[in-house]
Amino acid sequence: MTRIPGLRSRSPVAGLDRRALRPLGVFAQSVATTAPAGAMASTPLLVIAVAGRGALWSFAIAAVVVGLVAACITAFARRMAAAGGLYSFTAKGLGPGGAYACAVAMIVGYGVLVAVALAGASWYGGALVARLASGSGAVAVGAGVALVVLLAVTVAVCAIRGVRLAGRVMLVIEAVSIGLILLVLVALALTTTPGAPPPLGVGGGLGGVAVGVLPALAAFIGFDSAASLGVEARRPYASVPRAIIATATVAAVLYLVATVVVLAAPGATEGATSPPTGVSGGDIGWASVLMDLGIVASFGACALAALNTLVRVLFSLAREGVAPAVLGRTHRRHLTPAVAVTVTVPVIAAVVVVGTLAGVPPATVFGALVSVATLGFLAAYLLVCVAAPRFLARIGELTRGIVVASVLASAALVAILVVVLVNAGTGLLITVAALAALGLGGWFVLRRRRGAALRAMGVYDETTTADVLAAGQR
Amino acid sequence: MTSPISGRQPQAVRSALLILEEVAAAGVGITAKEISAALRIPPATTYRLLNLLVAEEYLVRLPDLGGFALGRRSANLAPLPLATPTAARTVMRRLRERVRWGAHLVAFDRHRMQFLDPDPDHPPTDADELSRHPHASGLGRLLLAEHDLPDGPLTRLTPHTTVDRDTLRAVLAEVRESGFARQCGEFHAALGCLAVAIRAPGDGRLVAGLALTGPADRVAAPNAELIDLLRDHAAELAPLLA
Repeated sequence: MTRIPGLRSRSPVAGLDRRALRPLGVFAQSVATTAPAGAMASTPLLVIAVAGRGALWSFAIAAVVVGLVAACITAFARRMAAAGGLYSFTAKGLGPGGAYACAVAMIVGYGVLVAVALAGASWYGGALVARLASGSGAVAVGAGVALVVLLAVTVAVCAIRGVRLAGRVMLVIEAVSIGLILLVLVALALTTTPGAPPPLGVGGGLGGVAVGVLPALAAFIGFDSAASLGVEARRPYASVPRAIIATATVAAVLYLVATVVVLAAPGATEGATSPPTGVSGGDIGWASVLMDLGIVASFGACALAALNTLVRVLFSLAREGVAPAVLGRTHRRHLTPAVAVTVTVPVIAAVVVVGTLAGVPPATVFGALVSVATLGFLAAYLLVCVAAPRFLARIGELTRGIVVASVLASAALVAILVVVLVNAGTGLLITVAALAALGLGGWFVLRRRRGAALRAMGVYDETTTADVLAAGQR
Repeated sequence: MTSPISGRQPQAVRSALLILEEVAAAGVGITAKEISAALRIPPATTYRLLNLLVAEEYLVRLPDLGGFALGRRSANLAPLPLATPTAARTVMRRLRERVRWGAHLVAFDRHRMQFLDPDPDHPPTDADELSRHPHASGLGRLLLAEHDLPDGPLTRLTPHTTVDRDTLRAVLAEVRESGFARQCGEFHAALGCLAVAIRAPGDGRLVAGLALTGPADRVAAPNAELIDLLRDHAAELAPLLA
């Protein structure tokens, strides 16, 4: 038996259900996190509001940026399989500082995304119940809170029961809700007589298009989440990059189609879903009920998918010694980071429930959470894009294509982040500053107490003696 | 799963095979740059093909992420003919003297079975045939209990073959617990077999299987003595084969 230096006999991420998930399950994880069903029902309206007829261009630009980011992410995903996803990748290019920053950005991004999905489900679901029961705002709040609690429990159970079950659930929900919403959109476009075309947009042409890129980009966040299933996927170096690229492509096509439909029949989708019209009773079209159901289901799948990634990031951090070791414990039978699930879900659900009960309008809760989550994701994407060429140069596999992709994507992401922060309200700025301060404080504490763990950040599912032909026994 | 390489790209296939050969020749730790230089394949092409070979698990990346080595799957390309130790043949001869059924010794190499010492008086089924339908044979079930069910459909070889996946999973769980597998008339209607696992003394790896084949109705009986006899001989064979 040959001894090969640096080759361990056991993977540092042992304990997860290694190499078991089929390609479709990996794809479902990414699609569900992106939640194209919910996004295609709402985002085109937001983008058209600022970009007018230029909305298609806004989506096209966002899709190109996403494509460049995907190129950088898959440069890693073809070469290493990690439970920590983007931050484990960043560690290999930017070292512990970049990895830590990316981990914080991911925890904020995915943690808040779970809250976004719960809040969204409660908002649309509550309004739908109130509308069907012709109830008042109080009914909506009550139903919304009950829905959050129910959904949080369901999602936690699914996440613990294993990613195979979770994948199946997410795939079915996402396929049904995308189908429903496409159906409704097309039906609306066919039955509505075309009115006046929408105005050119507030910024007038180019400016409006640029402003529209941010909400368009926000509709894509989470397409990278398959990367956190690297350890659990069967043939991860093939299925993870494919899932990421396919999700970005599918989402781009759906958003462009939805935008075309909405542009073709202006005013048709206004009032098609419950929240935009408020709880006014009025007409309950079959279309709007179907669309609401599709959106609630899509939010539920999104909560589950985002939770899957969040707990794997925490699991990976715990295995490195950066986060408390207890978060790295896996369920003995289901082989999932069960402790991390039971710790995070109650906290996130509580935030949403308290916000709703405190009387904050659901639209405000939802909007604020989306902004924070988007910022977290954009920061993580920026870091991984900067890290990609440095990683490839280090292992001697740098190509010109990836340098171009990295430079363009980084420049676009920096520009977008600057625009967001310049236009941000005080609330968002304070939140971002507080999170940044918290992250920085954590960095200094960790560097003093667990310097070795920080330096060793970036564990992944390394090749072990059993995988190498010469090293293991035949 | 569709592969990015279609049959219309002979140069890519040729390059991929050259890369495999280069990694095999250079040994563990060769880098992408070195491969590209040695084979005069453009770097970008080399990286793409390397990633493909890693994705398909013919190659693996070493923990430094820059070096490559042959993956376990490459072993399927050139299966080594296995030599059977004389001591193991002696054990088998002794076993055959004590039973009237066919006694076979089979080595497991990943999902393949290879006869180390088939019974000359009771010629067994072809090893490839056994490897193709592991769900229906005792030896195959020992192997499946170690890994998992195959993805493809389970062929019904006789009216008695277990083809229901859940039933088979329960059977495999039993095999895992008891360390021995039984099948009566599921491969050939008239025959059945009893098989026990032979494990490496050190790490408990499944290395081989020892099987007795006989008339299906006789195999169905408890056969406690026969199973004990098989277990004793398996224990004797383990240090000789691992």
